Amino acid sequence: MNPPLSYEFVFGTYEDALKMVGYRSEPRVAATVVSGARIQMFAATVRDPNPGYWDRNFAERTWGGLIAPPAMLMGWLIPPPWEPTGRPPVPSIAVRIPLPGTSFVNASNEAEFLDPIREGDRLTVVEEVVSVSPEKTTRLGTGHFVETLETYRRDDGIPVATNRNTLFRFTPAEQA
Amino acid sequence: MTATEFDWAAVVAPSELPDVTDDPMSYERVVMNPGATWDYFAGHYDPEYARAVGQPTIFVNTMHVAGFVDRVVTEWAGPFSRVVRRKVSLMASIYAGDTITGRRRITGKRRAGDRWLIDMHVDVVNQRGELCCPADVTLDVSKAVER
Repeated sequence: MNPPLSYEFVFGTYEDALKMVGYRSEPRVAATVVSGARIQMFAATVRDPNPGYWDRNFAERTWGGLIAPPAMLMGWLIPPPWEPTGRPPVPSIAVRIPLPGTSFVNASNEAEFLDPIREGDRLTVVEEVVSVSPEKTTRLGTGHFVETLETYRRDDGIPVATNRNTLFRFTPAEQA
Repeated sequence: MTATEFDWAAVVAPSELPDVTDDPMSYERVVMNPGATWDYFAGHYDPEYARAVGQPTIFVNTMHVAGFVDRVVTEWAGPFSRVVRRKVSLMASIYAGDTITGRRRITGKRRAGDRWLIDMHVDVVNQRGELCCPADVTLDVSKAVER
């Protein structure tokens, strides 16, 4: 059971994790620009016929270009699974917080979309650690809820979205 | 309501809208999502990993759930509408082999500055009727209203 590198966790204690509350990352730039191919792959996955994703003329006229499905937001900053430089991909800050948990599931997500994200945009994200909960036990196991806040900006520095995410970093019940 | 007309006055809040049942969540669809979003967390493509962490099989990620929620609200409001806020709670996972339904209702309509906004609630339930992901969404329909 080896999760791939991009999800390699940092391990530590709850006290270690608390030291990261308030931490704000350096801006991280997307590896690639927003692309029509990925927009349409996502729209195909969720069976969304919205012409803003598929019809270049409609999208150009209405939004100034093909638009990214708002739900894809977090995806634009996920590094490719492999890079020729061998540079280890930087995972989301939520899994880099030192904690004992060996797995995670997402608990809740609240996003605001200030301006449409369009094909060709290159996004930059700044991530903040908002809070780490004391130890909790759910039906999945024992662990901590980690809340993060991400702000996404376009190349011109204009913020296009914010994303507040809470995940449960836990050790599965049968492994505890 | 079609793609070319949106009647603000006819929108009733609160009111229920017809349910939308999604295509079955095949294994193919669960792994199509990492293809689009690059979210290659093993729980989204490796059933052995999923079972080792206490899940029955692979499950969809948050982006997929959010994408379904966005789809069922914008399908109703039309392609001149845009999701400007969405809060999703992940209460239970959606697994390969499940079929989800979106239960939609309009919870409010309001002006904010010069914008025309509609608030909606969507309960994403599985084929057993279990509530997996309740969501609250705000749609900006200004482009639809002002056309």
